[in-house]
Amino acid sequence: MDLQLISLQLFSGIALGAILIMLALGLSIIFGILGVVNFAHGSFFMVGAYAGVFFLGYTGNFWWALLLAPLVVGVLGLGVERLLIRPLYGRPVDDPILLTFGLSYVLVEGVRILFGTDGVPFDTPAALRGVTNIGIGYFPTYRLFVIGVVAVVLVALWLVLEKTKVGLIVRAGARDPQIMRVLGVDIQKLWLVVFGIGIGLAALGGVLAAPMRTVNPEMGNFVLSEAFVVTVIGGMGSLLGSVVAGLLVGIVVNMTSLVAPEMATIAMFAFMALVLLVRPHGLFGKPGFGT
Amino acid sequence: MEMAASKPMTKIATAPAAAPRRERLGRWRVPLSIAVLCVLPWLLPSKALAVNVLIYGLYAMGYNLLFGYTGLLSFGHAALFGTGAYVTGIAIGQFGTNWFLGMLAGVIAAGLMAAAMGALSTRTRGIYFAMVTLALAQLVYYVALQASSWTGGENGLRGFTVSKVGIGPLSVDFLNPIVKYYVVLAFVALAIWTLSRILNSPFGGVVEAIRENETRAKACGYDVVRTRLLAFVLSGLFCGLAGTLSALHLAIVPLDSLGYMMSGQAVMMTMLGGVGTFFGPFIGALAFLVMEDVLSLWTAHWQLFLGAIFVALVLYMPKGIWGTGLVWFERWRGR
Amino acid sequence: MSNDDLLQVDDLGRSFGGFVALKGITASFGRNRVTAIIGPNGAGKSTFFNILSGALKPSTGSMRFRGNDLARLPQHRFVHLGIARSYQITSIFPQLTAHENVRIGAQAFASRYNIWTPRASYHDVSERAEQALADVGLSAARNRIAATLAHGEQRALEIAIALVADPKLLLLDEPTAGMGPEETRAMVALIERLAADRTILLVEHKMKMVLGLCDRILVLHHGRLIADGTPADIQNDANVRSVYLGQSLGYA
Repeated sequence: MDLQLISLQLFSGIALGAILIMLALGLSIIFGILGVVNFAHGSFFMVGAYAGVFFLGYTGNFWWALLLAPLVVGVLGLGVERLLIRPLYGRPVDDPILLTFGLSYVLVEGVRILFGTDGVPFDTPAALRGVTNIGIGYFPTYRLFVIGVVAVVLVALWLVLEKTKVGLIVRAGARDPQIMRVLGVDIQKLWLVVFGIGIGLAALGGVLAAPMRTVNPEMGNFVLSEAFVVTVIGGMGSLLGSVVAGLLVGIVVNMTSLVAPEMATIAMFAFMALVLLVRPHGLFGKPGFGT
Repeated sequence: MEMAASKPMTKIATAPAAAPRRERLGRWRVPLSIAVLCVLPWLLPSKALAVNVLIYGLYAMGYNLLFGYTGLLSFGHAALFGTGAYVTGIAIGQFGTNWFLGMLAGVIAAGLMAAAMGALSTRTRGIYFAMVTLALAQLVYYVALQASSWTGGENGLRGFTVSKVGIGPLSVDFLNPIVKYYVVLAFVALAIWTLSRILNSPFGGVVEAIRENETRAKACGYDVVRTRLLAFVLSGLFCGLAGTLSALHLAIVPLDSLGYMMSGQAVMMTMLGGVGTFFGPFIGALAFLVMEDVLSLWTAHWQLFLGAIFVALVLYMPKGIWGTGLVWFERWRGR
Repeated sequence: MSNDDLLQVDDLGRSFGGFVALKGITASFGRNRVTAIIGPNGAGKSTFFNILSGALKPSTGSMRFRGNDLARLPQHRFVHLGIARSYQITSIFPQLTAHENVRIGAQAFASRYNIWTPRASYHDVSERAEQALADVGLSAARNRIAATLAHGEQRALEIAIALVADPKLLLLDEPTAGMGPEETRAMVALIERLAADRTILLVEHKMKMVLGLCDRILVLHHGRLIADGTPADIQNDANVRSVYLGQSLGYA
């Protein structure tokens, strides 16, 4: 096993981690502002991938699919918040978990009705096929692209959080929601927008992952548990935690598969168990957050 | 703490949709449950459905001890059900134990699994619990998938058909559906009685107190983490017994019995019947299985309706069938 | 003062991140006295109370209660040593009856993990609960669901839950919060009765009540102890006056 192989596998882990970051960020932002754990998050990821399939077929253009799928699914998310989640505010914290769990059945089965139960292929766009030399060796171009897109999204998200009023509110919300009231923000509109953005990020993750995984109605279930692992490791409600834990999990999975491929998934969950033993509230989580 | 103050979803989970605490039938709940279950096969269209009501009712009942009475929303109970089923199958099929030792091994293994899962998940607080239990159950699922020489991997575990059960010289034909039903019922009845004792015990009171107000329970001198861990293990023993019975009943353990959907079924059945009620889980299991039967005859996409019904349930009838019935009854009585 | 041997805190402090909520608190508390802890909002009263009841661990300093080191003890052990508390926001078991509420408090001393014996067979636990309910004047309400009790009754119920543990030290966090004059008078009378044979520490904003009820007052400000003395001392303390600028102590 040479150093080059290890570095390439490490890079591959970053690509996987990038997808997980998209999911965990959405989960974490939604939880941070709304206090809702979205159990349909994996399903929205899956719906995002299928929306990508649909728009790719409709426009014949990957770039349109990449743009439209997250937007449309994000709008779907707005509707879900408005119609289904909002009536649950003020009810026990478990209720939105239960509701979104039921919603995931509806989304999965809805996709089965529209697109069939078998997986569908999602071709890597021509411009991004093949491999690129990244100095340490040849690396699939599409994975580089995924890392790039996620990096851009993270920078954009960071700018929004740092420079805009909404960002100020979201950051304040993640730290001290009292401030929101003082600022006189329309909290209901904020909840709506934040839920939409979180769902949009999951859908973007879905489109980006589509060429790397099989697109099938069940893909969301596994992804949900992956996203939970990342969020638990990173610490619920911590955006930095999501990013760091996403990369860590991606690297752990890919490094394990280098040594023992059949243990890769197990290693991911074992990693979470280990973190829980040492830090029950996650690497970046605050004790007491989310009680 | 105060961090959560102005978020919409911050109310402490007081008894997920707690049903009225005093069930009128309290004193008679054990004989009544067993009496109804005794005549159930003659009320339902098929014996197979009746056995499933027993097994899944027991599964939901064990789940309800944790979710309904202790207030912990687990999404990983398939790991406990599945461990019971797999270990029983492996004990009988690969170690050649008799049916009873196989069951015993399955239940004990489920209890140990619950202790391990509980030790990790009860360390976390509130909202993490559902996520951590789900992830830990996935871990068990993937271990079973990889350890295919023991578990049969994707094909499930086969080759441990039990055709006769008995003690000493007395034995009955376990392949006869009605005999099978009453053998399973014997264990389920034992479990119902045990659960009733647990709920009436000092521990049963503590568990409810912690669900009602964790802070106050701690101030009263109760070790919340340890109490929850014990509740998790007890819940695991019941769910493991359900898995064990399922293995004997089907003579196969499908990999799906460790899957996410299996965990979800416990949640759905319990919610459907009535969270935190004594009869709710069995009623929920019956309603769920009948619904599944009817809907799947009618459409291949029955899960769409299942999901939609569940969403509507959470929104409009969170106390479930029995819980809502109890509320109506109390209202009627209160007039 | 040889009587000051029930609870000693020494250099007690607590910070959250960079924020120092409490610093350098040193004091001793004797038996059978009523002591009030006062101070403006954010003075550290709640932090102090939470540390004394085990809900928070101190960052610095030590505390000893009847010879036991409390600093590292888990919260659920406190009541077994003889420290019980009430909360500023009423903390009871809302869906249980009044009697069941107090029963849970009493049961902690009889059985916590017994999963088999019917709890109805623990007669002494039930009787202890009845007695505590009687002590706070709630016997008539024993079968009512706690959530349906009046505010004052709920506050009294919470004290009964604490009382059933037979604490040597009773911590009351704003026992008259949200009460009208009638309910407040009843609560003051109750506290006076309870003070006969136990030590009571209370946080309170109603100065008139504090001055009438307590034989000692501690004043916290910005997390520090700025005064400690009899009500008369405190009323004449220049430091305290400047903290409560513009408010006349005694009529607030």
